[in-house]
Amino acid sequence: MKPPTVLQGKERDTIEAPPPPRKRWAPHKWIKEESLEALREKEGNVIELFISKLAEEKMRNHSIAHAAERREVMGLMLGGFYKNEGNVYSIVRDVVTTDLEASSVRVRFNRGGFEQLFESLDRCGFDYIIVGWYHSHPGHGCFLSSTDIDTQKSLFSGRQHTALVLDPIAEEIRAFYLENGEVLERCFGIYWDDYQNPYYNRAVKMRKVRSNPDGMPPPEGGLGLSKTLHENRNESVEE
Amino acid sequence: MPLRIRVRNAETGATVDMELEAENTVEEIIEGAAGYWEKDPGAYVLRCGKRLLRGQQTVVDAKIMDSDQLELIPDPEGG
Repeated sequence: MKPPTVLQGKERDTIEAPPPPRKRWAPHKWIKEESLEALREKEGNVIELFISKLAEEKMRNHSIAHAAERREVMGLMLGGFYKNEGNVYSIVRDVVTTDLEASSVRVRFNRGGFEQLFESLDRCGFDYIIVGWYHSHPGHGCFLSSTDIDTQKSLFSGRQHTALVLDPIAEEIRAFYLENGEVLERCFGIYWDDYQNPYYNRAVKMRKVRSNPDGMPPPEGGLGLSKTLHENRNESVEE
Repeated sequence: MPLRIRVRNAETGATVDMELEAENTVEEIIEGAAGYWEKDPGAYVLRCGKRLLRGQQTVVDAKIMDSDQLELIPDPEGG
């Protein structure tokens, strides 16, 4: 019997696109002051990882949900690799996970949970690349253990691939990558899309009340909520 | 009659076309694809749509069809 034969391979082109603009990303609120200093130093240069607000919330909530029982959580980060002016950066748009075999010091996907994981991959709605993985160290701090480094070396050895570690108890988060076999820390930003901004493309303007149907002066400090709602329904509002 | 399939590397989006015999196992497909990308075959699983393909299944057992696109998915372990 002949073993499987590789006929031909095809690489995927890295898409040329600008990263999220500076006004639409910020450092993570769990980043420690010293790491933030490093981030600030790097700000003038290039940030190589942007994580969407949606993905960040999912990872943080996942880690917090199992913090009390001190159980690690884990998942895959989906997004893509892009280049801009010769620099390559990655974007995490979403994350997926499934049932886990987890303790306070170890985590992996449950063997019976893969089909649920595949369903989540199909549901993500875009042509994803798995740009890295996340897991938590509840109460242990953020670093790559020897197991994590083995995983990074065997699965995510590319410079662009990231291992994100969260400690929901210490409220700490750090990102790591490998370069020439060495573990390095990566600065990253949390970005938000315009559609996540509730005031996208709308100016919030002061409303002027034209008349007061009850003949009563507005309460001190302005109109109460019920009054405002009433007047919004019944009176014209000048913008 | 050999089958032609495509395997996608979920970590890079790269693909590889492979020719299979009916008796080839899933493990051999993973080894072939992972070897092509210089990856550790033991750290991956292979999926066909929503189905996880098991290592000792043959192409026939796993119901792999001509022109199927399979995907190599990383199976990380954290500590």
